[in-house]
Amino acid sequence: MELMYWWMPVLWLATTAGVVALALWLRARRRARALATAVPVAHSDRLTQLPAYRAALVRYRAALYGAVVVVSLVLVAAVLMSSRLVSISSYQPEMRNRDIVLCLDVSGSMIDYDAAIVRTFRDLVDEFDGERIGLVLFNASAVTHFPLTTDYRFVREQLTRLENDLSSPLSDYAFINGTLLGEGSSLIGDGLGSCVMRFDDVDRERSRSIVLATDNYVAGEQILTLPEAGAFAAERKVRVYGINPGDVTSKDYIAEFAREMERVVLATDGGYFALADPSAIPSIVDGIEAQQTERLTGEPLLVRTDEPTWPFLLSVLGTALIMYFGWRLKR
Amino acid sequence: MDELLHRVRTRLAIRAHRKVRGLLDGEYVSLFHGKSLDFDDLRAYIPGDDVKDIDWKATARVGSPLTKRYIATKKHAVLLVVDTGRDFAALSESGMLKRDVAILAAGVLGYLAVRHGDHVGLVAGDADSTEYVPLRGTESHLERLLRVIHKRTSLSAAPSSLLAQLDYVRRTFRRRMLLIVLADDGAIAADRAGELQLVRRLHAQHEILWITIGDADPTRDEYADRDMIDVADGRELPPFLRSNSALRAEFATAVASRTAASAELLDRIGISSRRMSSDDEVVPGLFRLLEVHNHARR
Repeated sequence: MELMYWWMPVLWLATTAGVVALALWLRARRRARALATAVPVAHSDRLTQLPAYRAALVRYRAALYGAVVVVSLVLVAAVLMSSRLVSISSYQPEMRNRDIVLCLDVSGSMIDYDAAIVRTFRDLVDEFDGERIGLVLFNASAVTHFPLTTDYRFVREQLTRLENDLSSPLSDYAFINGTLLGEGSSLIGDGLGSCVMRFDDVDRERSRSIVLATDNYVAGEQILTLPEAGAFAAERKVRVYGINPGDVTSKDYIAEFAREMERVVLATDGGYFALADPSAIPSIVDGIEAQQTERLTGEPLLVRTDEPTWPFLLSVLGTALIMYFGWRLKR
Repeated sequence: MDELLHRVRTRLAIRAHRKVRGLLDGEYVSLFHGKSLDFDDLRAYIPGDDVKDIDWKATARVGSPLTKRYIATKKHAVLLVVDTGRDFAALSESGMLKRDVAILAAGVLGYLAVRHGDHVGLVAGDADSTEYVPLRGTESHLERLLRVIHKRTSLSAAPSSLLAQLDYVRRTFRRRMLLIVLADDGAIAADRAGELQLVRRLHAQHEILWITIGDADPTRDEYADRDMIDVADGRELPPFLRSNSALRAEFATAVASRTAASAELLDRIGISSRRMSSDDEVVPGLFRLLEVHNHARR
């Protein structure tokens, strides 16, 4: 807790002192004038010794002291409000400057895993605050399903629809439209390269990461190989988290691709997860989240937040009390 | 140049009808026990004359009561004892200045005395100083006395002290006199033994008539909007505390009991007293005072 305008209390002190001095001066002047016209009375102790008078005086004094206390409190509240009482908290700005691109391989073998990733992110969107998320689907070519956005309602809607399309047996696979325009299929390097290029605002300090789900089984002529795409990502400071369902013993025949993918992904300071079961996806995504959180706890930035609640309540209550005491004193 | 005395005469004239004036005269004469034995003449009886002075034989001859008049061989001394401190520059119960009521009362009695050829003197003062104006028997002298009272009594005068004036009288005068004491509500109380002692002592030597000028009621409505100060110390009496009806009732009760108590105290010593607080009350009040005093035959 501290005051934003430290000079405000000084100003208030000076003003209050001025007002009090003026009031005293006016009162002295008025009193001098009033004494000339006042009703002169002798032996007022006949009145002031009466119990009723003493009781009235005690009541009046109590009201007066009450009013003084309340006015002081309201004054303090006014000083606090006008000098802007702020609380100071530290804040990790990168936590909220996060951009995540989901980079999903939509070749036939990956559909189940994609559905799990999409479902997990659909649920995660609820907790997002400031993060941007985008979705790219690729096979032979990459299609931006939706660009990086903070419109979480839209994101949730899109992810829900895509999740339905991915997991429903009645799906028409319309989402793969545009992903087959290339030389072959599963052009992973091209896909990753495209995903890296989805980040805008490259000059600004943001945390950029890609969740790449693929088995790295390339069938065709790539423009960009995976290591080249990884280097491109590293150059743009994009972390790649790879999820590879193909890196299991039953698929030894593509182990070499898996090793390559692991190497590339780790070179971008990201993470590599091999798995066989789509139900492990949520924990992996949580892991990525946690890892990122940990890594992004950087320089804490001091944030001042206005705290007007207590002074405000005090001033409202105090004003009511001032009215009450004023009424008591006038009566 | 005799404005104050003129006011006294006017007041007497307004009140009276010759009857009252004659009554006052009669009561005044009866104040003095000692009469000369030198018979002067007879005159028609006026109510208020001492019944002992009626010449019953002459009355029987004429058919209407006649009373004897004697040549005064001795001039009586009437001494006005007035508090001219600040307290008397305050308001009386009627709203007049207490000083003006006191001057009127002193003037009426002084005028009666002067017309009877008696001498009137004044002891006036406050806590700081006492002024003595010697006994003389002329109207201009009476006017002078009244002026002294008028001039000395102001808000800038020293605090009131009737005790100081009474003590001055005790120290200074040997002869027996008629003391007219002009006091106010604060002068006599049971808890002020020193003053009671002094009054008792003076009563042993002098004839005393005690006139109390009633003090103002601070709780009155007409003062509610105005500032009010106690003249003794300049302390303000805040309006919100004066305008309470319960307080007003309590004050009225307290004043009544206090007035009764001080009258009772004086009565026990043997002094007749009368409380008055406006110019209208002065003449009938004095008449009642003299009447009560004479009937009590003190």
